[in-house]
Amino acid sequence: MARFIGRRLLLMVPTLILVSILVFVLSEVLPGDLGRFILGPYAAESSVVQLDHKLGFDKPIYERYVQWAGHFVTGHWGTSYQFTTESVFSIVIHALGNSLLLAGFALILIVPTSIFVGVYAGLRRDSARDRAITISSLSMTVIPEFVSGVILIVIFAVVLNWLPASGIPPQGSPFIDRFYYLILPAIPLMLLELGYIARMARVGTVQVLEQPYIRTATLKGLPKRRIVFSHVLRNALVPTVTVIGSQVGWLIGGLVVIETLFTYPGIGYYMVNAALNHDQPLLEACVLVIALIYMFSNLIADVVVALLNPRIRKAG
Amino acid sequence: MTDEQHAREYGQHLVEEVLKGKMTRRQLLVRASVFGLSATVIGNLLAACGSSGGGTASTPSASASAPAVVTGGSLKAVIPPPLKTLDPVTIYDQGGIVLVYQICEYLIDLSNTNALIPKLALSWAPNQKGDVWTFKLRPGVKFNNGQPFEAADVVATMDILSNPKSGSGAAAALAGILSPGDTVAVDPTTVQFNLAKPFADFPYLVCSASYNTAMLPRNYSGNFLKNPVGTGPWTIKSYTVNQGCTLAKNPTYWGKDAQGRQLPYLDSVVYSFVTDASAANLQLQAHTVDVQVQTIFQGGQSVLNDPNLKVDVYPSTGIRELAMNTTKAPWTDARVRQAVAYCLDRVAINKALYGGRSNLGYDSLWEPTVFPGWPAPAPRAQDYNKAKSLLSAAGHPSGLDVTLTVANYLENPAYAQLIQAQCKPAGINVKINEISYNAYYAGTQTGGASGYGNTPWLNASMDITEWGSRPTPGQYAQAMLLPTSAWNSSNWKNQQFTSLFQQYESTADMATRTNLATQLSTLMQNETPVVIAFYISQLRSQWKNVWNVQGPGSFYFNVSQAYLTK
Repeated sequence: MARFIGRRLLLMVPTLILVSILVFVLSEVLPGDLGRFILGPYAAESSVVQLDHKLGFDKPIYERYVQWAGHFVTGHWGTSYQFTTESVFSIVIHALGNSLLLAGFALILIVPTSIFVGVYAGLRRDSARDRAITISSLSMTVIPEFVSGVILIVIFAVVLNWLPASGIPPQGSPFIDRFYYLILPAIPLMLLELGYIARMARVGTVQVLEQPYIRTATLKGLPKRRIVFSHVLRNALVPTVTVIGSQVGWLIGGLVVIETLFTYPGIGYYMVNAALNHDQPLLEACVLVIALIYMFSNLIADVVVALLNPRIRKAG
Repeated sequence: MTDEQHAREYGQHLVEEVLKGKMTRRQLLVRASVFGLSATVIGNLLAACGSSGGGTASTPSASASAPAVVTGGSLKAVIPPPLKTLDPVTIYDQGGIVLVYQICEYLIDLSNTNALIPKLALSWAPNQKGDVWTFKLRPGVKFNNGQPFEAADVVATMDILSNPKSGSGAAAALAGILSPGDTVAVDPTTVQFNLAKPFADFPYLVCSASYNTAMLPRNYSGNFLKNPVGTGPWTIKSYTVNQGCTLAKNPTYWGKDAQGRQLPYLDSVVYSFVTDASAANLQLQAHTVDVQVQTIFQGGQSVLNDPNLKVDVYPSTGIRELAMNTTKAPWTDARVRQAVAYCLDRVAINKALYGGRSNLGYDSLWEPTVFPGWPAPAPRAQDYNKAKSLLSAAGHPSGLDVTLTVANYLENPAYAQLIQAQCKPAGINVKINEISYNAYYAGTQTGGASGYGNTPWLNASMDITEWGSRPTPGQYAQAMLLPTSAWNSSNWKNQQFTSLFQQYESTADMATRTNLATQLSTLMQNETPVVIAFYISQLRSQWKNVWNVQGPGSFYFNVSQAYLTK
């Protein structure tokens, strides 16, 4: 297991280097000039040229990349090109904290609900309830989050006035208020993920229920509750855990639509703005942090699967 | 003739124009304010005119039937996020301008109908020639750090702004008119601007419409967010990038209302930064915020029809310039350009894009519905027979194919589609080249074969460019229609227009200016380097318990006298 984890950690390094090079190169082909963006369309051309020179934008790309990479790995992430009084590190940490809070809150809603619904359906395979759960969860999965999000805001915020339309409370509010404001943004995520994870849980449950050892346990006279919790869940949730692990990265770094709709300052939102506004230091930092999160969440999911399944653990 | 005699004679001339029916009282108010006549004098002039009408903005939140003022409370507003670090010298985006306007002030402000009103300057007047302007400053004003506001601060600010190295958009507007060293402090409350040439509209260059000209302390060295010093009614309490900002009232603010009460009435204003217009609309309707600084008509129907909300409509001079590059075929021929103008149904365009709320334009900058006091240009209705005959005379009897470049921004793509549809019956096949906002403004703006670099917006064959409000036609012409204009999308270089414009800018005599404006307007229509089909009215929506929000348009959000009722 230690070798397995060590190997995976080592693989992250070249992956991150490749990602950083790709992002740097791709951001070069984005239209627009940084100096012109900072000073606006009405500033004199000479001022734009001067600013480009000051920011080093007129140097060759490989020189700029090497300079940036050298600073980045030594912890000097620089200041944002857009917001020159803000350090990239502080912006990313702030945004990441927001994203982790939303993702954590959403996972608290998604994971137990999805697993319960999926296992419940699997235990009642081919029944009317199973079909109702399958159809409704599939339907919810195909609704894009910007559609469900708008509908939820209109119903719960505008018409009923039960919940706020924004994902973040006014500045100075107590921390606990943040969860109240996170309810609406989390619901579209739950609707999107519920069907996917529940179906995986259902499939896993159905497959395990067909195994001979489950029949043996039943014939032995074990209570159903014990069969489900001691034998079925442990084996049925292996694929489910893998799927949840792969979704964690998206829940933290990929919620650009939800963050924009609910004005939630998460890392996805900052990343898109940085890309649109040529803020290379901020863009690189956001992308690398999100890449790290994806890699770690997949690693943790694999470790959990290995813990659940001794055969995988022993195979190393 | 002394300056005082000159001012008196000018005032009398304005009264005569009103009494003859050649000018409305509102137009007198605007022209008198440009000339720097005091409020007392203007009041006397208006009284001398008797009663007559004049257009005003529709502002339910500032109506005469507003309830009694309630002090205290916190107003929540929604604006787009400032695109970059807040700095009055280099701001150019809506979010940044709105915030700077709260903390800093200008020598002159704009009323809801774009008339000039005293702010940090109490009065201003030109010399006979019009190349020296003397401003009297308001005494007793302090910056929010306790430092007194004096003429030396004006000198320092204008020296920064008029320096091309500052990177400020103001430098381009002041180029050829004011340079570093031309602003002089005569005494602590008197400033003199020694212009490079006579310039009748100089006050507009230092009013809030020139949003970079916020007055800063003489020792300003940048980094505004770390040290947000201004004379305005608000100070920054907290600021989070891309998230929001809370402004608290400035307890040492100089302003008082007509009853002598200290301004502002509110304790604080909380700004949410929201990128997406739909999200902002939903937050307003859900009452997460109280007021939306600008409501975009496209996609804003639910807000505009919401019975809980009231909408202020401000006539604005913002435009969507349809430029035809006069150096590229087929636009080298004025008849082809005119043909496009006659293809357009401006009423239908106004209805489709703005619900009919904007003012129509007829391809002239001297449009009296938004720039009061100027003679009206000849209206232009859709006329396909005329368009076809112009095309035929220009050697295109079977029509022609053209490409229209447009940024994917606001209603520009929708406008492009309307142009495409309306040009087709005349045989003008418009192919739309829609690109991102950044791509539209990317590239260089100087040099190259055209002299305008390689940026699409200054070099495309035909394009649509959005322009924020300018307070005078002259500012537009200076920026877009002269050979020396930095943003001449049409690449138009007409010697007659240039010569007339130079005369127009340098004379303060109203009769002469009006005559020159008529000639300039006619020339613009005859040549049609650009199509200006409408002047956009700005909309501002708020909940019904919000009162007295002032300030025209999308940038000038004045809440110093705003208040909330239960």
